[in-house]
Amino acid sequence: MTHRSIGLLLLVVVLTGGCGDAAPDEASRTVVDDLDRTVALAPSVRRTVSLAPNLTEIAYAAGAGDRLVAITSSGNYPPPVDTLPHVSALPIDFEAVAAQEPDLVLATDQINAPGDTDTFEALDVPIYFFSFGSVNDILSGIETMGQLLGTEAAAADSAEALRSSLDALRARTDSIPDAKRPRVLVLVGDDTLYSFGRGSYVHTLVEAAGGTSITADIENQAPTLSDEYVLQEKPDVILGLWGPDYDPNRLLDLHPTWDVVPALQNDRVFSVPTSLIARPGPRVLRGTRLLARSLHPDRFSGTPDSIGHAPSSSAPSPSTSPSTAP
Amino acid sequence: MKRPWLVGAGLTSVLVLTIGAAVAVGSTATAWADVYQVLAHRLFGLGPAPDPIVDRIVWRLRLPRAVLACVMGGGLSIIGVAMQTLVRNPLAEPYILGISSGASAGASLFYLGFLPPLLSKTLTMPLAAFAGGLASITIVYLVARDGVRVSVARLLLAGVAMSALMASITSFVTFSSPEPDKLRAVLFWLLGSLSGARWGLLPIPAVTTALGLGAMLVLARPLDALLVGEEPAQGLGMPVETLKRGLIVLATLVTGTLVAVSGAIGFVGLIVPHAVRLLVGVPHRRLVPLSFVGGAIFLCWADLAARTALPGQELPVGILTALCGVPFFLALLRQRAYQFG
Repeated sequence: MTHRSIGLLLLVVVLTGGCGDAAPDEASRTVVDDLDRTVALAPSVRRTVSLAPNLTEIAYAAGAGDRLVAITSSGNYPPPVDTLPHVSALPIDFEAVAAQEPDLVLATDQINAPGDTDTFEALDVPIYFFSFGSVNDILSGIETMGQLLGTEAAAADSAEALRSSLDALRARTDSIPDAKRPRVLVLVGDDTLYSFGRGSYVHTLVEAAGGTSITADIENQAPTLSDEYVLQEKPDVILGLWGPDYDPNRLLDLHPTWDVVPALQNDRVFSVPTSLIARPGPRVLRGTRLLARSLHPDRFSGTPDSIGHAPSSSAPSPSTSPSTAP
Repeated sequence: MKRPWLVGAGLTSVLVLTIGAAVAVGSTATAWADVYQVLAHRLFGLGPAPDPIVDRIVWRLRLPRAVLACVMGGGLSIIGVAMQTLVRNPLAEPYILGISSGASAGASLFYLGFLPPLLSKTLTMPLAAFAGGLASITIVYLVARDGVRVSVARLLLAGVAMSALMASITSFVTFSSPEPDKLRAVLFWLLGSLSGARWGLLPIPAVTTALGLGAMLVLARPLDALLVGEEPAQGLGMPVETLKRGLIVLATLVTGTLVAVSGAIGFVGLIVPHAVRLLVGVPHRRLVPLSFVGGAIFLCWADLAARTALPGQELPVGILTALCGVPFFLALLRQRAYQFG
């Protein structure tokens, strides 16, 4: 697993470079971010702006939610963020960010343009880039966040709880034989068939939920699939990131030729909120549990949180039920 | 004159082969034998029932798309002919003169709910596109008119300017709408795509295009006379003004209907009639039907390239027609003393 080793390596770099309290020089500390940039930080970060919704969630998971002074306009979780100022991230509203006088800006190359660093450097605002290629990157991201914002202990506990919950879930699905693992197609759009290609952590989530993601080998990282691809691949399950109220009949209206696809024939089209799968943050655990229950209703029953053991930091989410009961 | 018939027969057989290729090649691999088994079974009732998956791919996804490409390419080509005859210049084309982007703006305004649905959705969309295209070409034409003459330079400049204006309207309404998939919608309306092709979508554009083709064939002689000049045509007792207005409405109607289905695909009406004229000359009774067939072939291949050029992705087909069309347009622009034929 190269992703894992890179993640660990970065973590070590961050750990060794980032623990300012070990160094006698208290004036400032430098860390290396996921884009290999050296970032100079104030000894303690009090005011930070998050430029991506998953970073906001990770900051809360790391016990550092109170350091956030502004988040992006698409940030909507956890509930306390509703009272924070929202700034535009696409494109970045530099003036609004600078007006918050942050000690640190949090960004991720999934959403933010690495070229924007120059503008922040010109404004003398440190910016730290995260990169989430794997599930492990999410876990280490929580720990890194703790080190950046000075809540190492809480972050380590939270990452450990998430890790053990995911491991517990995986332990239950590992025993499922290949023949019983449904072939899953994860779709972002229902009309235009955006999906996840090679190198996405989403395939890991599907695997942990006891399925096999069929787009894991597509060269393109963000492929747009054709109707005929889906016909040829015959997925057993279609998992759409279309929100909890999706009507699966719409899928057949949009793609009438799919009446022979097993997922539609057997009523195994499920929809989950986008943010539980496509937002690399602590709530992917909830998304994966939801998925496990959809894929294997015989093995997993009851509420999603009872699958594996509940993590300490999990906040209640109002809308996590699949649109169709299997 | 044997040659036009030869060219016609040649182009028609190329078209049949083209459709054959268009249904056999796609984003997934299908065996040629399976593809033709589907066609043989569906068209002639021969052979055993094909595999349902291949049947759906060939008969319900690829074939309607190929047919739509033919209707679209053929329709845009004959409208290119009409516009070129109208202004007596080979540079005229529905996309360049702003009809397509006007139609796009009309269609997207309706699509995003800024215009009320007057009739059913399938009818209002082409109607909105028609209205947008007509508004655009009317302005272009009024700006370009200089007394009785139409200044070609002004026509092109006004067309380009109106295209830009209409494209901005399309982009603005799309970006300001709650549509989640904004970028894709803008790309669709501005660059065109045949990806939504279904049998159910085909009747309206097919009927309108067939009407356009029929009208152009009936008008072949008056159109020939118009090419010679308005005064001689008037001298022959032709209602020139009525003919010109009729041509504009016809061009806008066909373009609007096509744009409502597939977005604005440019330059087809520029390239194809020019190439056909080189083969069979200017008389409309030959130029119109052969341009139709030629346009169908051209857009089929452009669409085939659009869906196979990048692995696992589809390009808007308008990118490819523009890549072919713009150098062509520039070359024509350099040819100052261009004469029809």
